[in-house]
Formats: sequence, C-alpha cells, structure tokens
Amino acid sequence: MAKLTIQPMKQPDKIINYWKKEKFAVACIVIFGISFNAAAILGPIYQGKLIDYIISGYSLPSVVILAITFVALIALIQLMRYFKRFYIRRFANSTSATMRLMIYNNIMHKSIEKLDKENRGDLMTRAISDVDICVEGMRKFTTEIFDTGVLMASYFISMLVYDVKITILSSLFIPVAMILAEKLKKTIYKYTIAFRTKSSYVANIIYDNIENAMLYRANGMEDQNLSKYNIELEDLQDKAIKANILENSMQPVYNVIAMLGVITVIYLGATKVINGGWTVGNFSTYLIMFALMATKASKAANLFNSVQKSQISWNRIKPYLTQYKIKTTTFSVDVDNTRLSVDNFSFCYPIGKGNIFENISFEGNQGEIIGITGSIASGKSTLGLSLLGLYPYIGSVKIDGKELKSYSEYERSQMISYLGHKPQLLSDSIYNNITLGNGQDISSVLKDVCFNTDLASMPLGENILVGNGGIRLSGGQQARISLARTLLNKSKIIVLDDPFSAVDMKTEEQIIKNLKNNYKNSLIILISHRLTIFREINQIVFLNKDKTADYGTHIELMKKSEIYKSIFNLQSTGGEKFVK
Amino acid sequence: MSNSLVKSSLVKVIKKNIKIDVLLIFAIFGVVIASLIPPQILKYIVDQNLVPKSSDKLLNLAIIYMGVLLFIGVFDFMKNAVLTVLGQKITKEIRLEMMEKLKKINTMFFSANGTGAVVSRFTNDVDAINSMFTSGIIGMMVDCLKVVGIVVSIWTFSVKLGIGTLLLLPFIYAVTRIFQKKMLKAQIENRIIVGKVNNHISESLKNVQMIKSYSKESYMEKNYVEYLLNNYKTIEKVNFYDSVFSPIIQLSRAFVIGFIVILSSTQLNYLGISLGMVAASIELISNLFTPIENLGMELQDIQQALSGIHRVNDFYNLPEDQYTCSELKAEDIIPSRADIRLSFNDVTFQYEKGTDILKNISLHLNPQEKVTFVGRTGVGKSTLFKLTMGFLKPSNGSITINGIDVYNISNSEKRKMFGYVDQSFHMINGTVADQISLQDESIKKEQIENALDFVGLTDYVVALENGIDTQVNSDTLFSQGQRQLLAIARAIVTDPPILLLDEITANLDSITEKKFISVLQKASKAHTILSITHRLSSIITCDTVAVLENGMVKNVCSPETLLQNDDWYRDHIALEKLTWR
Repeated sequence: MAKLTIQPMKQPDKIINYWKKEKFAVACIVIFGISFNAAAILGPIYQGKLIDYIISGYSLPSVVILAITFVALIALIQLMRYFKRFYIRRFANSTSATMRLMIYNNIMHKSIEKLDKENRGDLMTRAISDVDICVEGMRKFTTEIFDTGVLMASYFISMLVYDVKITILSSLFIPVAMILAEKLKKTIYKYTIAFRTKSSYVANIIYDNIENAMLYRANGMEDQNLSKYNIELEDLQDKAIKANILENSMQPVYNVIAMLGVITVIYLGATKVINGGWTVGNFSTYLIMFALMATKASKAANLFNSVQKSQISWNRIKPYLTQYKIKTTTFSVDVDNTRLSVDNFSFCYPIGKGNIFENISFEGNQGEIIGITGSIASGKSTLGLSLLGLYPYIGSVKIDGKELKSYSEYERSQMISYLGHKPQLLSDSIYNNITLGNGQDISSVLKDVCFNTDLASMPLGENILVGNGGIRLSGGQQARISLARTLLNKSKIIVLDDPFSAVDMKTEEQIIKNLKNNYKNSLIILISHRLTIFREINQIVFLNKDKTADYGTHIELMKKSEIYKSIFNLQSTGGEKFVK
Repeated sequence: MSNSLVKSSLVKVIKKNIKIDVLLIFAIFGVVIASLIPPQILKYIVDQNLVPKSSDKLLNLAIIYMGVLLFIGVFDFMKNAVLTVLGQKITKEIRLEMMEKLKKINTMFFSANGTGAVVSRFTNDVDAINSMFTSGIIGMMVDCLKVVGIVVSIWTFSVKLGIGTLLLLPFIYAVTRIFQKKMLKAQIENRIIVGKVNNHISESLKNVQMIKSYSKESYMEKNYVEYLLNNYKTIEKVNFYDSVFSPIIQLSRAFVIGFIVILSSTQLNYLGISLGMVAASIELISNLFTPIENLGMELQDIQQALSGIHRVNDFYNLPEDQYTCSELKAEDIIPSRADIRLSFNDVTFQYEKGTDILKNISLHLNPQEKVTFVGRTGVGKSTLFKLTMGFLKPSNGSITINGIDVYNISNSEKRKMFGYVDQSFHMINGTVADQISLQDESIKKEQIENALDFVGLTDYVVALENGIDTQVNSDTLFSQGQRQLLAIARAIVTDPPILLLDEITANLDSITEKKFISVLQKASKAHTILSITHRLSSIITCDTVAVLENGMVKNVCSPETLLQNDDWYRDHIALEKLTWR
C-alpha cells in the first residue's frame, strides 16, 4: 500500500531522523537486507555441490533433487531481495518528498528580507538537484550497509570455515583497495565541489537567459549571451570530466587490487584439491565467494563517493531543513472601527543607503481614502510596502491603537491587503489567482474592477488559465485581476500602489467609484503620482525629496506645498494640450 | 521525430573526436575479449590439474589468471574515462544547441512555458541524456558484445549447449521488453510532474511577497504537496518494476545452471563435455546473466533519458521564427536616419484561431513621423509592438521598413534599429552598467554614461557605492520610477533610429515625466517614434494619433482633427479634464 500523504517531520536537520521516520520501510529493509545477504552464501555453496555431484557420479534423481533444491533456494533468496530493493526505493521516495516539502516550507517562511539576499538559481538547485543527490546517497548507504556489510561478513566467515590460511592470505589486498578508495575521497571531494559550484552557476545563467528571453531578444543580445554561455559550458565540461573520471572510472582499478589475492586462491586452493583436502566443488564455491567479495570491496569506493557527494549536498540543504512552520492563524482583531495612526515613522532597507523617509505622521479611519504621492524615488512605494510590516521600521504605526509590530504576521496579513506594481499572478486560473484557495464567489469583486466585460469574451470564464506570470492577459487585465485579489476580502486596510498605471482613464474612474461605494468598511491607502484623483479623497501624504513629508487635505496641501500645487496644476492642464 | 537534436549532437561529437572514438572502440573490445579468457583458464585448471590431480604449471596459470584480470581492469578504466569525456562533450553540445534554439524560438513559447520547466529541460533532461549515452547506450553495446562472446565460447565447448544458450536469449529479451514498456510509461508521466514540481518552486520564489502578504504559504504548500504526491505515486510505480526485474533475472540464472548440471550428470551425459567445461560453462552462463542484468539497469537510464530525449527533441522542433534573408544589415535597411518608411500592410494577428487580436491594420509612416496609439487596455497595442519588432509573425499581411519585412531581420540587427521600452523593467544579473548594456561588449562605458545622463540618473548612480559598477543584488536599489528610466536608458544606449515606447510614462511622476518628455522631444528630432498610451494627457507631442478599437484602427489623423471627428477621443479628453478640474 502506498502511503498517500506527505507529512512534515520533526527535526529535519538531523539526518538520522529520516530513517526513524520511515519505521515500517526501514524495518523491512533491515529484515530482508539481513536475511537476503546471510542466505546469499547458499548460492555458491550449492553451485559447488552440484559440480561435486557430477564428479561423484550420483544417480540422476538425486542430481535432479539437488538442482531443484538449488533453484528453490535461489527463488526464496531473490524474493527477499525483491522486498529489500522495493522498500529501499520506497524509503528514498518518501525521504525525497519529505525533504522537498520541508525545504519548501522553510523557504516560504523565510522573511522577505532574507530571501532578498538569496540567489534564486542557487536556491532552485538546492531544492531540486541537491535533494536528489542527497537522497541517492542515503539510499546507497542504506543498501550497502547490508549488501556490502552483511554480505562481506557472511562470505568472509564461510570462507574462513573453508580454509583459514587461504582466506587470510587472499583477503589481504581487499582492505588495500578500500583504503585507497577512502584516501582518494578527499581529492574527489575537491573536484566534485568545483564541479557542483560551476554547475549551479551555469544553471543560473540558463535561468537568466530564459527568464529574460524577451528582453535579450528585443535588444539583440542573444548572440553575445550565447558565446559567453559557450565559454562557461566549456569550463563546466572540463570540471565535470575531472570530477567524473575520478569518481566513476576508478572502480576497475580497485577491482584489480582487491583481486590480487586470486593467485593465492587458485594456487593454494587447487593444491588443496590435488591433495584431497577440498573437492572440486569446494574450490569452485570458494573462488566464486572470493570474486564476489573482491567485487563488493571495489564497489565500496563507489559507496564512499556517493556518501561523500551526498554529504556535500546535505550540507547545502541542511540550513534549509528547519522545524516545520505554520503561521498561527489566530485572529483577534476587530474587523470594524479601523483606525490607523502613523507617528514619526522612518524606514530604511537593511542593505540600504540610509533612510528612505523620515518622521512621517498621518492618521486615517475606515471609510476614508488616504493618498500617498511624491516625486520619483521619494519612497512612496516603500512607504506603502512598509505598512505591511514585512520589514523592520523605526517610529510607530498603530492599527486600532496597537503597534503594527506586535500583531502577528497572520493578523497583519488579514488586516492589510496590498497590491504592488507587479501583478504577481500564478500560472493558474483567474478564479484561483483571486481566491487563492479560499473558495469565495468572485463575481462582485470582478465587477468592482470592471473585469466582467473582459470575462464575457473569454470562453472559459473565470476558469481560464492566465499562463506563466499571467502572460496570456494584457497588462491592464493582469493589474485588474491582481486588484480583485487585493479587494476580495475587504480587509481593514487596503494598500494600493499605483494600481491604475496600465488601466485606461474610463476604467480607472469607474474602479475608484466602485472602491468608494463598496468598500466603506475599509481604509484605503492609494499610492499614485496622478494627483487628479486626490481631489476627492480625504487625506494626502506628500513625500518631499528631502525625505520629509507634508500631510493634509488636498486644499490644505494646495496652500501648504508649492511643489504639490505646481504638480497638480501641471497635471490638470495636461489635458488641455490637445484642446488648444 | 522530425529532427532529432540528440541524434545530431551525438553524431557531431563522435565525428569531431575520431581519436577518442578509436580509443573507445579499442577499450571496449579489449574488455569484451579479455573477460572471456578467465573461464577458459579455469576450464584448463579443472581438466588438467584438479581432475587428474596434477600440480603442473599451476602457479603459472594462477599468475596468468591474475594478469588477464589486470588487463580487464586497465581496459575497463580506459573505457570509462573515455566515455566520461565523450559524454560531457555531448552534454555540452546539446546544451549549446538548445540555447541556439532558444534564440530562434517563436516568441509565443515564452508565454506558454514556465521558466522552471524550461530550465529543467536544459539541466535535468540533458543530464539524463548524458547518462543514457555513457552508462546506457555504450554500456548496452558492451554488454551485447559480451553476450556474443560468451555464446561463442560456450559454442566451442558444446554445440548443443551453444544452441541452448541462443534459445535462451529471446526469452530474456522478451522479459526485458515487457519491463521496458511498463517503465517508459511511468517515467514519462513522472518527468512531466517533476517539471511541475520545479516550476512551482520557481513561481513561489517569484511571487513570494504576494504570498506572504496574503498569508498564503499554506495554500501554496498545499498545491506543492499535491505535485509532490503525484510525483511520489509515479515513482512508486517505477520502483516496483525496478525492484522485481533483477531478482527475476537471478532466478532464471539458477534455472539454467540447474538445467546444465542435470544434462551433464554422469547418467545422462547429454552434452558430452568435461567437468572443466561444465564449470567454465556455469561461469560463462553466470557471466551471461551479469550483462543481461546490467541491461536492465542500463534500461532504466535509457528510459529516463528517452522521455528526456522526447522533451529535448520536442523543444528543438518547436516552431521557429523564419528568417528568409537574415544577412541583412541594419545599415543596408536604413541607409539614412532621415529616410525610414515604416509600413503596416493590412496586418491581422491572432494567438489562437478565431480570436483576432488585430484586424487589417494598415498604416504608412512618413520618415521620422511620431505616431501614438491609443485605446483601451487589452486592445492589442502591445501585440502591435511585438509585431513591429518582428517577434511575432502576422497571421496575415506584413510590416515593412523601407520595403523589408521586419520579420526577416535578425535580432542582432534589430537592436541597431529599434529601441523598445516595455511596461515593466526586467533586472538582469550584473552591475548597474550591465542593466543598460545588457553586458554587450560592443557598448562603451561612455555610451552607458551618456544614456544615464540622458534619463537623468547620473547623480543617483554616481552616489552609489561603486558608481555604475555597483552590483544590483536586490530589488530595492532602484525605485519603480528609476527602473523605468533605466529601461529607457537601455533602449536608447545604441541610439536606434526607431523608438517604441510602451506606456513609458505610466510609472513616472509628473515632474520627472515633464522633464523626461522634454528631453525625449529634443532627441526625437532624428527618430521615428511609435508610442502607446492610454492616457491621452500624456501623449508626447505627436504628428499622428491612431485610435485602436476592437483590434482595428478606428481613426488615424492629427490630434487636432481627431478631437473634432472622434467621439471616443473627445469623450476621453473631456473625462480627463473633468476629473482633473
């Protein structure tokens, strides 16, 4: 029975826990791993017996019975082997799924501040190929504990039973092969690291080239990018060859070393047969066992490498394997009576260039619209973003008298809806993009953003897929779908950062009217550089270039701020250009 | 498969590296032939030493046995090393060809495919193809040769046994095929899901701010788990076949050994071979199963790669932009900036059949004319620009510059002709200067500085830590408006004669916009300019306004005439005035 859920786990940063987690599979692996490998010695032993039966000229029925016994034994052994193989693969499959889930959970719960510092291509490599390599190493390790450890032990013991002297003399070289493999590990590690780093770098280049494909195409940069890419590929190829030759091609060499003892086996073994100590069958059994053990030993190097590689990957993903996080979804905020007061608010980005703005104060209540405007790079977008509380800030922002910082992230997300410049659409249906799994009716909100007419021309309606990043919709349509998402829950505070830049005048006017009429329980913060709509809203925060701000009604600002006045007049007369 | 990239890359690499190929063939035959010798020595020992109980030449034989093993080891090492080199060369070749393809691929590809999924074709699928070549195809060849060698060896012992072995092969092959087919199906299914899993991560990273601000981490995770679960189930299917295959082979081996022993028993003595031959035959037959069992493993590599090959080849066969005369240079098409005739000749365009985005657009621009397209959002203005730059092929009609179809001009020449400013600005990896030059080495530092100066960002950039060489690591270095200015700097850095401005003032505040427009006007003297706007108030002074409605040009004339004749236009001007007064 396949397990049908993928569950988060505790302490994912301890690798042993992945075995502990899969108790049933691991128990099966242990049981079948030990029994199969211990029973595996019976194969060569019976093969030797078969030969002896021929030499001794036993009757046909007894040879047939022995042959049948041999086949039946092998059938049993192979059945155990099947179970061992299957459960090891299931263990790897579950582990891989769990790791991916835990890493995803970690990434999704990282602060934006931290994610900004991460390299996206690298993050992808970690979440995808590093998990694969790590799990592959874990799988091989688990397999080889039994297929190498138990098998070699049982072979060695039975060989000792056959002849102590020959066994000890012939096996001397086996540890030599293993030690050599172990010694080469460091070199291989070095080359592997170089290869993986480069591989990650090239993946990043590929990502950049595809993500910005249209941009490079529009600027005819494809040829040059291609030649750069070629150079990087060349380097990657060299590094890959070095790493892979050391890793994959050495096995025959180890095998030869481990097999050196075969001279002793043949010489002393055959002498023992001639002297009557062994039967020919014993000789054959012994030779088979020795060869199998030597081959196993030479493959131990592979095991070391795989585990080593797995360790590299494990170390890369370990920081991302943290306790499973769930946002607490307790919500104890009054949905009504919204009051926002911002007092002496300053903000700077952590990586930054000093404060973006300083000492801003303003207030608003539900049913009001507060406008935020300012010249280019005055920080109006940043002001809107910082009201989400995703970044640290200085000063005070209070919602209903309680400091923004002291609300939980979940409470903030439920109180405040935010719409930024990028529509941030998922490659899913319009419906799912707006509801994000909440299962609400979206017809009214689509009407509010004037999308109902657009929808009428779409055959699949709200189930139409928007494509990667919403590419199948026009810029204006993307912006309005994104706006609908922001409006859907009628949050206490709705922050809209220039939502109309890709929307035409008529639609914009209608949307603003809808906002005023249908969102009376919300406080809307509207960031825009179009002052024309500000005439009709309650309060305006005007950010100056010197990081200070003017605050007041439109009429007050027209008196107070020369720049505000001149911009407003400029924009108002803009329409007249065509009249004259 | 009309055109197999994988095959052609293989052939190309093999042709280019003849010496390595010869070495590979030498090593392969070395391994195959050398590995047939030990059982023969064994046979000799049993028949000449063990059975007659004589220790004649025993030590020599033991040493020769070891010597042969040494040769096998050396050949095997050589084979592996050479294969690694060839495999990596093939990987490189395919990756390069894929990037070449990406260059030519139809623009619509990018709208239909997630970045994560495409990246996974370049990385995971190509890696799978490499392992298919090295451990798959070549491994299979070696193993098949081994099988042939073993059959021949056994044949020399006993014709009957040789025939028996031959008869065995189809049976083993049949079992192998059954597994092959079952696994391929599951593998292809799995690859698609892996693509989805990967794309979900990429998409989540891109939209992380939205996800966080709506507290939708668990929703996104739920979707991710769904993909993971599908992935889990398909792998589970593969696992069953994978686990059961090798035990079945081992069991068959036991059967055959038992059978040979019964046939060779003293009473039956059907085969009529010596004990040494029996022992050697058992050894050889055992060796026969090892390559066949390996075939099973190699099968898995090939299976994994097959679906990868399908996807890589599908990618390679995607519709391309068809250039019929790509050698045309920008200087040939536009000998003089003052003489550019841009014409839209009855252009119709549709993404999907039946839904025309643009219908019968006909426009003939005079040299250095300034045209503004206005219309509701979603009316196809941006598509018109993509057509103008020849990224999309009109379903009907053509767009020409001085009589040359833009669709036939190579992209590298287009940069000298068009400056395109998009609605959104895409940051690339690199420095501030790279944002403008896109790391184009032919663009001089001076040009970049001029462009920055042109858009008025010099002061801001100079004040940054390393000036224009500051690395752009975060999204927050430039504000939205500054990004828009950077986009313009990027478009004008090569001083192209035709500018396409797509809502460029949408994200500029009024003071910047006014300043900016005045600069643009100054520069516009030597440019043909096509601009798109839905804000009539921010129309840059232009000669002609084209009103688009329902995919058609509803009206083309000067702004003044338009005001008198076009109701929509007049309404909008009035509306804007109303809201602003």
